[in-house]
Amino acid sequence: MKITLRTDVLTNNNKAAEFNRELFQNTKTLVINLMSSPGAGKTTLLEETVRELSGKYRIAVIEGDLATERDADRIRAMGAKAVQINTHGGCHLDARMVAATLTEFDLDEIDLLFIENVGNLVCPSGYDLGQHHKVAVLSVPEGNDKIPKYPQMFMRTELVLLNKIDLLPYLDFSVEEARKDLTEINPESILFSLSARTQEGMHEWFSWIEGAYLQCVQQ
Amino acid sequence: MHEMSLMGDILQLIQEDATDKGIQQIDKVELIVGEISNAMPDALRMAFDIFRDQNLHLFTETAELVLHIEEAKAKCVLCELEYRPDQKIALCPSCLVPSGKVLSGETFQILSYEGRN
Ligand SMILES: Nc1nc2c(ncn2[C@@H]2O[C@H](COP(=O)(O)OP(=O)(O)OP(=O)(O)O)[C@@H](O)[C@H]2O)c(=O)[nH]1
Ligand SMILES: [Mg+2]
Ligand SMILES: [Zn+2]
Repeated sequence: MKITLRTDVLTNNNKAAEFNRELFQNTKTLVINLMSSPGAGKTTLLEETVRELSGKYRIAVIEGDLATERDADRIRAMGAKAVQINTHGGCHLDARMVAATLTEFDLDEIDLLFIENVGNLVCPSGYDLGQHHKVAVLSVPEGNDKIPKYPQMFMRTELVLLNKIDLLPYLDFSVEEARKDLTEINPESILFSLSARTQEGMHEWFSWIEGAYLQCVQQ
Repeated sequence: MHEMSLMGDILQLIQEDATDKGIQQIDKVELIVGEISNAMPDALRMAFDIFRDQNLHLFTETAELVLHIEEAKAKCVLCELEYRPDQKIALCPSCLVPSGKVLSGETFQILSYEGRN
């Protein structure tokens, strides 16, 4: 006998994502899912973001990595609460892992929650975590070909942080070309050029967060 | 990629449904895999074979996996042309403007399974 299901393969993930989304909305917590290849600068960006915004917002971070507490320790050193998820070989965070971790936070006492996904430009893009916004970090040393090579990531994110622009003088990366490639994959996505090292361009990211936070609490 | 864990989830979902329906053996699984869904058909086939050979779940030794590949298609909102997108998913090949919206290709579903009591 043949049984027709037409069930989404990610149906369990999507249920957990809805659960998270409702929790984030009820507690007015703005949640941002940061994705990139390994080493693009997610943790450095978050360190600087905590440094800049922790006077104004109560910030927490979920760190996703294959192994170690290193990234969570870096965030804690900046004075924000951080919980590490080790995926033990898993190439992405899923909504159930995030839901399980949320029990360690009092979301009523948190304004901004950043989720640093596992460094990987492929797998994380397919998993809804219940976040408000998906943001991709791309860094100058990775080269211009990353946007066209990983269209699934960039078609599902609404903001690209082009990091490490302090290295532009030494490399042949073209910001113009990156903007054009991004528009051809996802015309709605915006791109900010910045350097977490020198702080150049970081204000754009900070004001984007403030706008997103206002939108989140007004909903 | 993570096709092993995806296949584990797929077989789990099917097994739960089959158990509810009192089905003892499963002979065939059909999936719809979109070309831009992130899932790789070859890796899915390999994962299916590995699970089947471990005799896990209710799957018979000869259980078959059928993949229906859903083509990626996009449509230009300006000229209404339907096209098969390459990496530049939103770029209309006729207008040369990023005016395309994805119509299909993102699906990743369990379509059906066949079982016996
Ligand atoms: N030159 C330069 N280096 C940077 C910048 N941002 C980060 N880095 C360096 O890039 C390296 C990787 O940065 P991380 O912040 O650890 O990157 P990540 O994306 O968190 O890496 P994973 O968590 O391993 O995926 C570190 O050596 C940083 O100091 C930048 O704007 N300019
Ligand atoms: Mg990191
Ligand atoms: Zn057109």
